[in-house]
Amino acid sequence: MRGLEVKYEELSPAEWFRRNKELAGLTNPTRALYQTIREFVENSLDATESYGILPTVKIKIEYVDKSKGWVSVYVEDNGIGIPDHEIPNVFGKVFYSSKYRIRQHRGVFGLGAKMVILYAQSTTNKPIFVRSAPIGSDKIYEYVLMINTLKNEPIILERREYPNKYGWHGTAVKVVIEGDWGKAKRRIEEYLRRTYMIAPYAEIYFKAPDLTLYFPRATTKLPPPPKEGLPHPKSVDVELIKHLIARDPNLTLKEFLIEYFDGVGKQTAEAFLKWAKLDENKKVGELTEDEITYLTTKMREFDGWRRPRADWLSPVGEELLVEGIKKVLEPEFVAAVTRKPSSYGGHPFIVEAAIAWGGKIPPSEKPIIYRFANKVPLLYDEGSDVVRKVVEEIDWSIYKVKFPAPLAVIVHVCSTKIPYVSAGKEAIADVVEIEEEIMLAIRECARKLRMYITKKEKEEEIYVKYATFNMYATEVAHALAFVTRKPEEEIRKKLRELIVKKLGVDFEAKLQEEQTAKTEQAQAQTQAASSKPETAQVAAKK
Amino acid sequence: MARTREEVLKILEDWGRKILEQIEKGQEPVLEIPSRTLSNTVWDPVRKILVLGPEKMRRRFLDLKESRKFMQTMLMLKLIVEAIREGVYPTIRDLYYNGKHTIVYKDPRGKVFKENTWDDQQESNSVIEDIEVATGLLREEMGISADVKGKVVGPIIVRSKGFEIDATKLGDAALSLPPNPDELEIVKVEANYVLVIEKDAIFQRLNREGFWKDENCLLVTAKGMPDRATRRFIRRLSEEFKLPVYVLTDADPYGWYIYSVYRSGSIKLSYESERLATPDAKFVGVTASDIIEYKISDEYVIAATDRDIKRAHELLRYPWFQSDAWKREISLFLKMKKKVEIEALSTHGLKFLHDYLKDKIHRKKWIE
Repeated sequence: MRGLEVKYEELSPAEWFRRNKELAGLTNPTRALYQTIREFVENSLDATESYGILPTVKIKIEYVDKSKGWVSVYVEDNGIGIPDHEIPNVFGKVFYSSKYRIRQHRGVFGLGAKMVILYAQSTTNKPIFVRSAPIGSDKIYEYVLMINTLKNEPIILERREYPNKYGWHGTAVKVVIEGDWGKAKRRIEEYLRRTYMIAPYAEIYFKAPDLTLYFPRATTKLPPPPKEGLPHPKSVDVELIKHLIARDPNLTLKEFLIEYFDGVGKQTAEAFLKWAKLDENKKVGELTEDEITYLTTKMREFDGWRRPRADWLSPVGEELLVEGIKKVLEPEFVAAVTRKPSSYGGHPFIVEAAIAWGGKIPPSEKPIIYRFANKVPLLYDEGSDVVRKVVEEIDWSIYKVKFPAPLAVIVHVCSTKIPYVSAGKEAIADVVEIEEEIMLAIRECARKLRMYITKKEKEEEIYVKYATFNMYATEVAHALAFVTRKPEEEIRKKLRELIVKKLGVDFEAKLQEEQTAKTEQAQAQTQAASSKPETAQVAAKK
Repeated sequence: MARTREEVLKILEDWGRKILEQIEKGQEPVLEIPSRTLSNTVWDPVRKILVLGPEKMRRRFLDLKESRKFMQTMLMLKLIVEAIREGVYPTIRDLYYNGKHTIVYKDPRGKVFKENTWDDQQESNSVIEDIEVATGLLREEMGISADVKGKVVGPIIVRSKGFEIDATKLGDAALSLPPNPDELEIVKVEANYVLVIEKDAIFQRLNREGFWKDENCLLVTAKGMPDRATRRFIRRLSEEFKLPVYVLTDADPYGWYIYSVYRSGSIKLSYESERLATPDAKFVGVTASDIIEYKISDEYVIAATDRDIKRAHELLRYPWFQSDAWKREISLFLKMKKKVEIEALSTHGLKFLHDYLKDKIHRKKWIE
């Protein structure tokens, strides 16, 4: 990171990012298209669900110039929107952010979207189109923007405003980039499927040259939005300390700690400064480079901080996780668990896991793994992910799973800082605390799976007996009826009664009951649907 | 025959009715069948035969391991009752084909189960034997016959359906035994003894070479493991005409067990021994010691297989192989680990077989 910091001073941030686009995964036209969709969709979801809005996201990919491999990407959401005056900076200035507060985000400070704009500029040199309206705005604003990479400033090419007749709010963006739709197609489809799995409360429309997808909103429940908070003193780095100092250099060290960090009161601040042998009255603006480094190191070493809080996290929750998995994987059985918050190096995190089994999951030699970090599906680089490691360490035979098995393992890690293996952000690194939580979460689900399989095996055993006895009973009744010249039907009936009595279950009656219950349920649903015009419309669109 | 067809039918129908009564009373139907296993086969040293012991197995319909057999037993009962009511005489193979069909059962979940009533004749034969021991009726009494492998040649005249057959006037052919030898009238026997031969090829050779004329004896073969009809026929010759019976087999544990079946009965059909066994039958050869005694040359000697060795150890444990002579022979076999076929007696020329047999029989060099 040292080397990067040096360059950082020589180049404008925009220029720096333009030269380092591979860091954001924009390495080739296939990956770039996939990454573009990801960045925009994740911004859209953050702009909706984090504010209690049920997300509706519309995505459209079109060929602009097939011979050059140019495609346009359009993404629209119903989020909180962006105020008129903020739009140019939000999209046209790298590192533009008003506050240094933490909470769980899909993306980090919206950097990804700016990378996409820079990528567009360097491949097609086409500007970005933005349309937005904040909640309650009586106008809709449209901008056509580019980024001045040398000065890190937005260039406003066009600006328009319209009356907001229908009270729309949200943001829509459109970029023209070099992208390979043919090759990116399967990835993007899988990405959307998995996004929907972790956020079944979202409604997603997708249209591309030869693929149209629609994911209907499966539930209207939203996970509670994360709160915003201050960083934990153990989680700092030099960069952050410098930025915070710059905000108010006149604070004393003690004031600085109390003001900018979570869970630090007067007593804790004093205890720390005494332990670190620092002068509590020293102005932070007067700290030398070496002193800043020393302060950072000591803050990370100190054991007297309060435990990091998990209030800034937004786990999906067991109920929604189960809902999403059922919708996407259509398994026979699913168990999910949300673990209690934990932390590593001052960063709070929560692990959620689920196991899905049977149904439409194809049997395979290894469990199929679905990984998520802060609700973002991770598709690449499964081999170096800690989840794969944990799944492979588990002896599945303990849980009565015999491979090939229709088994899927779903793991969601949410944290204010996900420890990725590399800048590509596709694999979670092997952090002991996280690994342990993942192991515990998967095992908890696996125990529930074992109970289910055991119960099913027992039922199956009885069922096989039931079917076998009944099969033979027809033959026995026929033979005895012939030998004794008694009516066959009566003997058959008596034998059936004996079988039911012996096994203690009447599968014929049981199945009939289930059938009736299903029919009644279906009827109830049809009635409910017809009484709600909204639902009916969605069904019609489908 | 002791029982008429009507009596036999009634016994079978009553048995069926008893089973139905259990079902009507709401009880799980259970068949009590004496077990036909080695542990329930008892050696009667006085009568020198194997008899069925007192053990009974309970075949329950609502036991997953027994249910299929239960169904097969009921199916077979129906087939036999049907045959008697219609006055036909099926073979065990006929019954196998008559009863073989696929049961199709659609379970409540809509899955279709398919299963054959039985897959091979061993299964259907086995339930016939079960019905025999359970009802105390013999297969022959129920009018069920089996393929008869046995044939006889030599100085005997029999009458069947009014026709007299003289077994000395058949040239190189032989008289095939009928399914139920009890229905065969033996008009006249002028033989000195009966020689039972394990293998058909040797039987044919001795017939063509005029051994029976030479010795004034009867030659019988059942082509390997003897069927019930052949055993019954030999028993009658021994019992009714007091003819000495000599048995010739290969020198290996399988040949020796065949001798014991003629003499004492089999484990599987011990309930039939009283009618089928010939306790006075003697074993003339080929014994293990004959390999040395008659200087059989090496090209005829075969190395014993692991299965032969295992079988020999089993014979040693059977109570009906406990005579000193047999213990000596089997131990010798286990020591040499060598066996020979009857054909090995051509070691000193083709006629040597005759000399060997005459030597064995006239000089009483047999064992039992």
